Amino acid sequence: MSGASDGQAGVVVQGVSRDFGPLRALDRVSLAVARGTVFGLLGPNGSGKSTLIRLLCGLLAPSEGVVEVDGLDVASRGEEVRRRVGYVPQRFSLYDDLTVAENLDFYAAAYGLRGAERRRRREEAAALVGVASQGGRLAGVLSGGWRQRLSLAAAIMHRPRVLLLDEPTAGIDPVARRALWDLLFSLAGEGVTLLVSTHYMDEAERCSRVGYLFQSRLLAEGPPDALRARPDVTPSGTRRLEAELGPGVAAGLARARALPYVREATIFGTALHLLVDDRATDAAVARDLGARALRPAPPSLEDAFVRLTALQGAERPGR
Amino acid sequence: MIGDLAAVLRKELLHLRRDPGTLRLALLIPALQLTLFGLIDTTVRDVPLAVFDQSLSPESRELVAALEASRVFRVARRVASRDALRQEIVAGRARVGLELPLDLHRRALTAERSSTLLVLVDGSDASVAAQAIDAVNGLALSRSLEVLARGVEALPLEPRVQVLFNPELRSAALLIPGLIGILLTFSGTLLTAFALVRERERGTLEQLMVTPLSPAAIVLGKLLPYLGLAMVQLAVVLVLMRVVFRVPIHGDLLLLGALSVEYLASLLALGLLISARSRTQVEATQRAQLFLLPSILLSGYIFPLTAVPAPLRVVSHLLPATHFIAIARGIIVRGAGLLDLWQHVLALGLIAAALLLASTRAFRKTLS
Repeated sequence: MSGASDGQAGVVVQGVSRDFGPLRALDRVSLAVARGTVFGLLGPNGSGKSTLIRLLCGLLAPSEGVVEVDGLDVASRGEEVRRRVGYVPQRFSLYDDLTVAENLDFYAAAYGLRGAERRRRREEAAALVGVASQGGRLAGVLSGGWRQRLSLAAAIMHRPRVLLLDEPTAGIDPVARRALWDLLFSLAGEGVTLLVSTHYMDEAERCSRVGYLFQSRLLAEGPPDALRARPDVTPSGTRRLEAELGPGVAAGLARARALPYVREATIFGTALHLLVDDRATDAAVARDLGARALRPAPPSLEDAFVRLTALQGAERPGR
Repeated sequence: MIGDLAAVLRKELLHLRRDPGTLRLALLIPALQLTLFGLIDTTVRDVPLAVFDQSLSPESRELVAALEASRVFRVARRVASRDALRQEIVAGRARVGLELPLDLHRRALTAERSSTLLVLVDGSDASVAAQAIDAVNGLALSRSLEVLARGVEALPLEPRVQVLFNPELRSAALLIPGLIGILLTFSGTLLTAFALVRERERGTLEQLMVTPLSPAAIVLGKLLPYLGLAMVQLAVVLVLMRVVFRVPIHGDLLLLGALSVEYLASLLALGLLISARSRTQVEATQRAQLFLLPSILLSGYIFPLTAVPAPLRVVSHLLPATHFIAIARGIIVRGAGLLDLWQHVLALGLIAAALLLASTRAFRKTLS
């Protein structure tokens, strides 16, 4: 896909590390996000997602490596970068004691918008995210979903080329989540480059590409389908199965994990998702677990990440 | 029941241990207060005295030496005219002025008539003034008794005391100008520190930092409203002082306003410095306390500076409040002008400049 050289990338990160004292929050991370696409950033808490996003919007400087946003080096051209970037932090960070309209007006002014243009952009953004009807309410009394929409509106009034969102859907309901993602895709359709961190696999599945950060390193990066199809996710000589167990599924999980040929087992409803060695036949698996039904199960993105994490642990037993 | 209590108790002790700041403050502040109150001796000592000695005789020297020996006075200045004597008091360099007559020498010997000592007293600090008057009267009386013992009729030394300002010796004239300095300390330092720390505490600073707004615009934009608020506060206190407490303003109101801005600049800078070091408003309050307390106790607001033990007086002179209170009292009570107060104005300016430098540095560091 696109790299730093072809000028088509909205975001380029090359060999970037960031240290906080003795702690290495990011370790030689490289990735590129093509213009007008959505990049999903995944990884457990503390893996470096927020650090990477803060590096991209210039809040932090990398200890080593290069960060480019919309073709501009963040370190040397921070001022220009700030004008082209929109940032929605993980924590709501607009003013609780200002109304929706006052918050938007302040941020429009902060991005240098003046007079009639400011008013127009403010109303445009409010209408786009659907907060226009909330204009007179204090931001502090809004529910989580409304707050996130407001944060998004504040981040897009200056028409950024790149939009960075740090867990924008954490703690908001599924309907609001879906609405927010629809908005993000419509922005991408207009050519905005988006980088979104999330814990939700369904959100990750919708991204053009995803990256998985684990213990400060980018373990995997690519389109969701490619990640699922990676040979190390389902190594040769193994296969993935779904075993329907019914109400006894919790006991079945312990049983499955004790079987020598089962490499991974996870509960999904009343079924188990298994990664098993090919030496065990379907009949043997069904018998050992007392499964009512057995069928092949393609790996989910979550399976892929769990597998990659486990492999990482096996490689570096010290950690 | 006991078990429940123990559970909460144990948790609370853990909280205390995890918050060394509060603990430190809880132990430090009483120690600081006790030390200050304990060391401060409210009996008046070392009152600066200006002497206009016309007689320049052994008798006049002896008289002044006796005044100094009482430890109530120390000769701060010797001047050559009655006007100069008065000026020393207006400028605040002396609290009491003593004029010894030309004929002190002759009259002391012959005692035909009593010899009049003119004593000018700065009435702005009522308690200091009263004690100083007592001391002069006492000395004059004992001297006179010595002479009388030699069989002379008239009292040879007769002090004529003239209270220059605040003739009714009302404490309001002293306290209210001082209070202005303390009130501005609270609003100038604490509110400023809060305004910035609040942004950090609520996480709004981060959103502000990704905008193209310059740090200078952010800081100045946040400070100016508080400067305005403090100026309004000053106006309200001055009006109340004049109208309700009937303390007249003898000096130039405009000068007071201008020097208040100088004072506020130092306070805002201090607020900025505190906010740069503090993560939460509680932390900022604790830091501010360490500055506010000495500002109340060591600035001359409650106790005269002469009552502050010498080593601590160094701290006094480093506090912006000390200089501003001297300026406010000088202008309001004694009608002092810029030339009279130049030392305080200069000192305050230097303190303000140093604080501004330190605070912009500290703030820039926290932003990056």
